[in-house]
Amino acid sequence: MSDDSEEFRSGSEDEEMSDYGASDADMDVEDDDDDYGFAGAEEVSTVPKVPYKVLPKEDLNKQREKALREVMDVLGIDEDTAMRVLRKYKWDSSRVQEEWFSKYDQVRESLGLVDEPGPSGRAACEAEERCFICFDSFPVRDMRSAACRHYFCKDCWRGYITQALSSGPACLDLRCPSTECKQKACVPCALVMELASGEEQSKYSTYMVRSFVEDNSSMCWCTGKNCENAIQCLVDRGPDEAMDVICSCSATFCFNCKEEAHRPVSCKTVKTWLTKNSAESENMNWILANTKPCPKCSRPIEKNQGCMHMTCSQCRFEFCWLCQGDWKEHGERTGGFYACNRFETAKKKGEYDDESRRRENAKASLERYMHYFERFDAHSKAREKARLDASKVSKDWLEQLADITKTPTSQLKFINEAWNQIVECRRMLKWTYAYGYYAFEDADRNSEVARHKGFFEFLQGDAERSLERLHEAAEKDLGAHVTKARNQADGGFDADAFQTFRKNLIGLTDVTAGFFDKLVKQLEKGFSSMEADYAGQVDDGAGPSGVNEGGEQAAGAAGGPAATGTTGHKGRRSKKARGVDEDVVLLGEQGFWTCNKCTYNNQDLTARRCEVCNEARAGPGGGAGNRR
Amino acid sequence: MAQATRLSTVAQRRIQSELNEWMRSPPEGCCLESCEPMTSWVVIMQGPEGAGGVRLYSDEVFRVRIDFGEQYPLDPPDVIFLAPAPIHPHIYSNGHICLDILYSGRNGGWSPALTMSKVVLSLRSMLASNTDKRKPPGDAEYCARVGNRSPKLSNWVFEDDKV
Ligand SMILES: [Zn+2]
Ligand SMILES: [Zn+2]
Ligand SMILES: [Zn+2]
Ligand SMILES: [Zn+2]
Ligand SMILES: [Zn+2]
Ligand SMILES: [Zn+2]
Ligand SMILES: [Zn+2]
Repeated sequence: MSDDSEEFRSGSEDEEMSDYGASDADMDVEDDDDDYGFAGAEEVSTVPKVPYKVLPKEDLNKQREKALREVMDVLGIDEDTAMRVLRKYKWDSSRVQEEWFSKYDQVRESLGLVDEPGPSGRAACEAEERCFICFDSFPVRDMRSAACRHYFCKDCWRGYITQALSSGPACLDLRCPSTECKQKACVPCALVMELASGEEQSKYSTYMVRSFVEDNSSMCWCTGKNCENAIQCLVDRGPDEAMDVICSCSATFCFNCKEEAHRPVSCKTVKTWLTKNSAESENMNWILANTKPCPKCSRPIEKNQGCMHMTCSQCRFEFCWLCQGDWKEHGERTGGFYACNRFETAKKKGEYDDESRRRENAKASLERYMHYFERFDAHSKAREKARLDASKVSKDWLEQLADITKTPTSQLKFINEAWNQIVECRRMLKWTYAYGYYAFEDADRNSEVARHKGFFEFLQGDAERSLERLHEAAEKDLGAHVTKARNQADGGFDADAFQTFRKNLIGLTDVTAGFFDKLVKQLEKGFSSMEADYAGQVDDGAGPSGVNEGGEQAAGAAGGPAATGTTGHKGRRSKKARGVDEDVVLLGEQGFWTCNKCTYNNQDLTARRCEVCNEARAGPGGGAGNRR
Repeated sequence: MAQATRLSTVAQRRIQSELNEWMRSPPEGCCLESCEPMTSWVVIMQGPEGAGGVRLYSDEVFRVRIDFGEQYPLDPPDVIFLAPAPIHPHIYSNGHICLDILYSGRNGGWSPALTMSKVVLSLRSMLASNTDKRKPPGDAEYCARVGNRSPKLSNWVFEDDKV
């Protein structure tokens, strides 16, 4: 290792300490608490309690054999029987033992376990019996039976077994085909193996292995393409409780519903949302097919997604979808993109008939859905792109960078970490839109829900903005550094600039994690106790009245977030268009202030500097500490 | 009438044996109207008397068609009532019968050791044990939906052992 890199490394750590006010050790402690759904992603190092385990094929077999062996030893039974009883009780070996000893006869009967009769005499073997499948007679020694002694010829057994195997894992519980078989005796594994073809034998064995995962409530297969790993849940999960897992193949999914990982949203919401998406895709097509004619040239116009702003593809006339008026007369005065006051007013005057009102209602609900869907979809796509970029970065760029900067790749880990954070945050963010769609449906009618919605959007907005900054830095800034480094490979590398970039990216990663942690925790907790949670801080004097001293937000302050529901910005506001004043109002209400530089929400209302980046606090709360 | 199906040797011999057996001792209340071709039988069934002398079906005569497939007896044959089908909570107007032994697969009860003798006796006892002469719920809707396709293509749920 060269001197350069030594210097580079030690320097960086010192600065990190002073600038971010947190040593590596501190951050590790935070990570433990933060316990993101994707915690399992990190290579065991920082997260002690991962509630699940990834089992590659070999480990899986070992575990399965161990489970079988335990039951065989404790119950004193053979492997075939152990397999059956474990399957019956979903591989829960303590339940197996309990049931076996308390209801011995019942359990055996249900499994078709029949006491093996004594060996039949030589005479019996020489005798002929009729096979009740083909109706031909055979010497008994050429026939086979389960423990119940219902004999069939080998060919008929083969046909029976082949057909059972082709019908799936149920063949593991194959029973005697005789209609006289009162005990419904199970067909022993040994008989299946004797008569099955080589291919069928391996199929049967595969079903036995699969049973260990598929009939087992604490196991599931990884959903990743071509991945043969199983996931073992190590904790007690409630029924239908979501659990995000990440496999060593990098597939992430929910253990419970097998959809893509979706913390903090419940499996039920995910299912309803995905079902709605597929149903709505038709609905949207229908709406799109029912276009309006251009008010100027009458050409049928398809509606642009989301926005009311229409442009005729033929005459380029720009108009409002709601009132069909010239778009030039629209803008902030008419209520912005999503609300047309002209339309609202005309409706009040009764200028619109029932038909158009009904169409309007249907459209409003579709518009609302599309608002959430578009954002869900956009973050979904951004995540896919980020996934590809992340692997490109770690495959191609890191080594080049390490080479040029003469830094060991382990020192460039922060870049990987930033990208992992981006991918995971995009995923969480997209699901928060599914959450938002269902959680605040009543926001227009219920002021409490509206208040919760305001707070939710505030947290979501913080998280989203922070993520955009992080994503941009990881994408553009890193790209610029790599390009620059490549061009100046012969010694002209700007170590200082890279150092600044490093600090910035680590800070942004950390801050973004913080925002998402807050958002995720709040969603998991729900908003019902929101008022109570923050009431204490408001009473402390940090509430709206305190904020008022800043003078900038007097108008909205009185109502707090509730006011946002009644300020006339009805319906869906574009987040970017949200007034600064609202943010500050929410700030006061919620009891934290946002740093202008790094966007971290500082909890300490008296602090003069940002806890994370140490930037002096600007605005009303800054400097004087006048919140108290 | 179903088209003649090519049969495996096992199926041919098995059906022949069943025919012989049937001729020797036909199941109670049933007789063969036709077994030409060998893969498609029509059975005439006298409506049974119910328990305690209940005469729900005893004045009626039904016809059951049995179509054997290539994989018989590993696969069950198609078994339906010809019109007019008995009015019974598990028999649809198109003749489809909701009885587990007629179907293989996940919850079916077919066994290759079941003979047509046993099958028609089961059908008769299904009529005999019925006390409520009504059509299955959703009969019209079901018949409109499935038309004349094989009953084996329907997804059956067998829940009521009594009827
Ligand atoms: Zn045989
Ligand atoms: Zn048996
Ligand atoms: Zn995997
Ligand atoms: Zn789930
Ligand atoms: Zn036009
Ligand atoms: Zn308008
Ligand atoms: Zn800051």
